[in-house]
Amino acid sequence: MSTSLTENLNRIHTSATAFGEEFLEPIAADLDRTAKFPRALIAELARQQLLVLPVTADAGMVAHVETLRTLAQSCPAVACILNNHALTAHAISKWGSAALKKTLLAQLAQGETLGALAIHESGPSLGLGPDALTATIAAGKITLNGTKTFVRNAGVADIYVGVARHAAAPGAASSVFFIAHAKTAGISIGAPYPTMGLRGCPVADVTFKNVVLDESSLLGTAETGNAILAELLGAASLGEAALTVGIGAIAAKHAAAASRHRVQFGHPIVTLQAIQQLLAEIATDSHLAWLGIRHAAQLADAGAPFAVEAAMVKSFLGRFSQKMLVDAIQVEGGMGICEVVPPHFQGTLPLARLFRDIAGTTLLDAPDDFPEALVAASL
Amino acid sequence: MNLMTPEQTTIVKAAKDFTAQHIIPAAAEYDKSGAFHAFLLEAAKPSKIFGMAIPKSFGGLEYSPLTQALVLEEWGYGCCGMATTLAASILSMESVMLAGTDAQKKQFYTPMLNGKIGAFGLTEPSAGSDVGGGKTTAVKTAEGYTINGSKCWITNGGIAQVFIIFAQTDPKAGVKGISAFIVERGTPGFTVGQEEDKLGLRSSNTVFLSLHEVKIPATALLGKEGDGMKIAMQTLDLARPAIGALAVGLAQRALDECVAHMHQRFPAKPFPGQALQFKLADMRIQIEAARQVLHHMMALREAGLPFSEESAMSKTYATDVAMNVATSAMRLMGSAGYTSVVGKLMRDAKVMQIYEGTNQIQRLVVARAVLARPKVAAPTEKAMAK
Repeated sequence: MSTSLTENLNRIHTSATAFGEEFLEPIAADLDRTAKFPRALIAELARQQLLVLPVTADAGMVAHVETLRTLAQSCPAVACILNNHALTAHAISKWGSAALKKTLLAQLAQGETLGALAIHESGPSLGLGPDALTATIAAGKITLNGTKTFVRNAGVADIYVGVARHAAAPGAASSVFFIAHAKTAGISIGAPYPTMGLRGCPVADVTFKNVVLDESSLLGTAETGNAILAELLGAASLGEAALTVGIGAIAAKHAAAASRHRVQFGHPIVTLQAIQQLLAEIATDSHLAWLGIRHAAQLADAGAPFAVEAAMVKSFLGRFSQKMLVDAIQVEGGMGICEVVPPHFQGTLPLARLFRDIAGTTLLDAPDDFPEALVAASL
Repeated sequence: MNLMTPEQTTIVKAAKDFTAQHIIPAAAEYDKSGAFHAFLLEAAKPSKIFGMAIPKSFGGLEYSPLTQALVLEEWGYGCCGMATTLAASILSMESVMLAGTDAQKKQFYTPMLNGKIGAFGLTEPSAGSDVGGGKTTAVKTAEGYTINGSKCWITNGGIAQVFIIFAQTDPKAGVKGISAFIVERGTPGFTVGQEEDKLGLRSSNTVFLSLHEVKIPATALLGKEGDGMKIAMQTLDLARPAIGALAVGLAQRALDECVAHMHQRFPAKPFPGQALQFKLADMRIQIEAARQVLHHMMALREAGLPFSEESAMSKTYATDVAMNVATSAMRLMGSAGYTSVVGKLMRDAKVMQIYEGTNQIQRLVVARAVLARPKVAAPTEKAMAK
């Protein structure tokens, strides 16, 4: 890592930490309770120049995951909104036409336009279910029909970067990426899903009914769709993993502080080996996963393949992510399961919320989403 | 599949029907609001099922421990929040069963057989795992006792009719100075605090209790002065498997939800990839092991053999399995799990690893038992040759 990159990273880390403390910590609990999209924060994130780090000169994927990890320590839901938004900018920057870049990137950086990724479907695999999104390309127009499910930032986003099965490419599924404005005729948003956590980030289905786009809305070509999908999913999972380790790190800190205050059997419980072990394992799992995330992000910034490393992170966190909060709450006992601070207690109690949030950060896309396959194939 | 007597088969069928009819349809709504499900007590009143642990001589059903576990598993399958209301009532009954006089048993059981419930007040702000650290006192007076102090995390505290309250009658004697009392709701000076807003078991009522100059008659003492710790520990030994049973039900539900989702998502593919198949198999193996540890413990209890260590094992293993299986189910179902009942199962399981004695305390119990055993030398080659 070059010196200038380190300086940049430090600057971004400082900026993200200050942002989290000033803007996110005070609202995190309310945001979870109300699930009201925090629109005003988008402008603040823009002011701090944090909205499109993957495509910002002097920043990149390392800076992006560092920011997500930091913001997740204050409010994972906002970090989740940011990840989806920033990756739409990444997709447009990397695979969009010059015209798309020109009109959209500045708007995304300023927060005037909010982005969302529309990838997942309800079928067994992308392009295979009865509701699969299909694209018919003819005479310079793309016609889209089908439904994208569990779209984050759905309903509040101004643009969707989506993937559809190319109807004219039979046999091996061939995907095409496109960008669609939310107000395009034929696009409708389903009712928001009642998610367990990350509740400030809306999740809903996005249905496309005879949606006609100009061919210039394509990202890449029909030939590059599958490669874009792999790279974008890899980048998205790195961002989500950064949320996971941020949540794990802050949970370990909170539980450690509680264990220093909580006296049982005449001593603070932090003096008990069983408690030390729980705390140390959370911190270790979170830290080692972070090293893996940062390494994969460095590869991405260097233009090297990083899909295998991203899959390793996903596989690792699949085993450890929820356990971090299961154990942190165990350390705090009864106080750890409080959603609202009881009147007889002074302090903050975020672990119940973080337990619900972390469940949403390492979700597999589908039951057959199996990151281990990619890792095994690479050996 | 369980080996069941014809009577147990009938009882389990009734419990399944009760769960399907009354618990499952209402679980999500009450989980969301955290409101108390009074309707459930009404629905169960005719069957006297809440009195399943009460002896027949007092008008109860007197189910065997194993039969109770089978019923509790069915309730836990439906909703561990609602089932906790019912199970915690049994917890307080066990104390009276262990140490109560016939008059006290009648006083305690009668409301329960009429659809009312009981609560067990042991934990205090300063005394969670460290039960002996309690500061609530009971001072002997000419008329009986005067209790001062507070209790926290009291399940059913806001809705119970009768309570078992533990208090120090001889604070200098530490755990040997704790005594147990029956305190009725409405006794002057006994106030119920705000209900806790919890991560899981949300429809189960959890409150803070304040006792200020609460005067109770001498007949409210359970057993003798100083018996409190013994009564509490024996009660928890009896009650922990109930939590194990609920946890087994929860884990089974998580697996069933996951499999149902697989079939819905892969209609043409009854056997998904091995990675997925093996995870389902691991879930099933853990659930069955947890169930059998529980049933074995209940068999020891029915045979009159010691079961304290097995009780701790059963609660710990079953609740850890519930947490693991629910988390695996969520992972296999992905976003669909995140927005489904499986999220609730995870939240409920997390609380169950903590209440009724944290799983860390259970491990202390088991480790003490393991280390207290006489040393057994490994057989030498020479000894084996003989």
